[in-house]
Amino acid sequence: MSGIGTGYDLYPTTFSPDGRIFQVEYAHKAVENSSTAIGLCCKDGVVFGVEKIILSKMLVEGTNRRVFSVGEHIGIATAGLTADGRRIVQNARQEAKNYENFTSDIIPIHVLTERLSIYVQVFTLYNYIRPFGCSLMIGSYDEEKGPSLYCIEPDSVALGFYGCAIGKGKQEAKTEISKLKLSEMTCKDAVKEIAKILIKTVHDETKEKEMELEMSWVCKETKGKHKLVPKKLIEEAVEWVKGQENEED
Amino acid sequence: MSSTGGYDRHITIFSPEGRLYQVEYAFKAIRLAGVTTIGVRGSDSVCVVTQKKVTDKLIVPSTVTSMFRITNTIGCCLTGRRSDMLLIVQRLRHVAQEFEFKYGFVIPVSYLSQRIGDLSQLRTQYAFQRPAALSIVLFGIDEEYGPQLFRCDPAGYQVGYKALCTGQKEQEGTNSLEKKIKQKSDLTTKETIELAISTLQRVLNTDFKPDEIEVSLVTTENPKFKVLQDLEVEEILNEIAENEF
Repeated sequence: MSGIGTGYDLYPTTFSPDGRIFQVEYAHKAVENSSTAIGLCCKDGVVFGVEKIILSKMLVEGTNRRVFSVGEHIGIATAGLTADGRRIVQNARQEAKNYENFTSDIIPIHVLTERLSIYVQVFTLYNYIRPFGCSLMIGSYDEEKGPSLYCIEPDSVALGFYGCAIGKGKQEAKTEISKLKLSEMTCKDAVKEIAKILIKTVHDETKEKEMELEMSWVCKETKGKHKLVPKKLIEEAVEWVKGQENEED
Repeated sequence: MSSTGGYDRHITIFSPEGRLYQVEYAFKAIRLAGVTTIGVRGSDSVCVVTQKKVTDKLIVPSTVTSMFRITNTIGCCLTGRRSDMLLIVQRLRHVAQEFEFKYGFVIPVSYLSQRIGDLSQLRTQYAFQRPAALSIVLFGIDEEYGPQLFRCDPAGYQVGYKALCTGQKEQEGTNSLEKKIKQKSDLTTKETIELAISTLQRVLNTDFKPDEIEVSLVTTENPKFKVLQDLEVEEILNEIAENEF
């Protein structure tokens, strides 16, 4: 049990007697309630995959996006309160535009990550606003520096990752990810591996409804531009996962 | 907790004994990070060592850092809540640059420490804010005063040190350093680094590998702030191990 915070958990400005800030920890729980998102930093790019639960047959596929582009070269995947994620993405787009206007150059991913981290941090400092209830994964590919993947949590800690998972199934997903050899993997293989983790390991068919896979990448093949993974590749990946299941049976 | 009788919920409330519990809890939050930092000021150098904890092998180690450059010659080591770090660093940089722009010379470490101390104090007085749960160690070579080592805490208290230990093992580290500094307080660069690292090893009862610590060194010969590379740290760790035999 993470500890009862009664009385110390109403405002982000209150420390508990052992020095924790419970409102920020509760914001993490909001992320853990949402469906899983995975980001892999491969040798030639970054691939994102999101498990989207189809709540109703009336919903149009491909809407209610969880992956966004900032500028042309950076992708952001969210988990947690989607609306909070969208607000941060909006801020990220503003930062990218300002940077471009000021320096006539596209914003490097580590600069954007630091700015977003500070933006998220500010919302954990005052008692009249609440922390963001979402985690973000930020990815980009640069010809010289190679691929980069960062993750910002609700407490604003931003770290670089080789592979990252956020949301409900993050523990199981992380276990699977650490088995992969990411530095030797290509993005095309990563698409398959992410599909496998999301469909087999993370998604529980008995408990939950159907899922939709939303995947995007920014890699050498897309010439450093963040794009949705072509539908054909996703379908092939899903077929491959089903094939794997049959082999194991 | 009933023993505090509800005086510990808000920063603007004194307890009947005159304590500010919220500020004290901010100090506890520093220890929660589980990291210890040691700084030593020699006669012409300052060395600051901090633990580097990378909790997951999926994390890129170079992005986990507690050492930040404030100006070319002033460095800052932050211990405590990682989420509060970037904002403090941004503030420190802003204060330093504003000073340099206004007055034309590099801000003295002591003055920077005073300014951030005052800003930290403000955060202990307003109900709508909370203190940063960070121990801010500022260090650099001052043109007039030579090597400087300052620490500012969440209460806004700031003071200069010959040697300091902050973080989880603050008490043990401070005791260890007091004994050594009493024997000899004007240390050469080599002695400064060795004292800092060997104290950290002794206090934590471990022999470090180069990727488990971050070491920063500024000297009067070379006042530019830098974090030592793994190879340089390895050399120093080997020398310390040899000396102990």
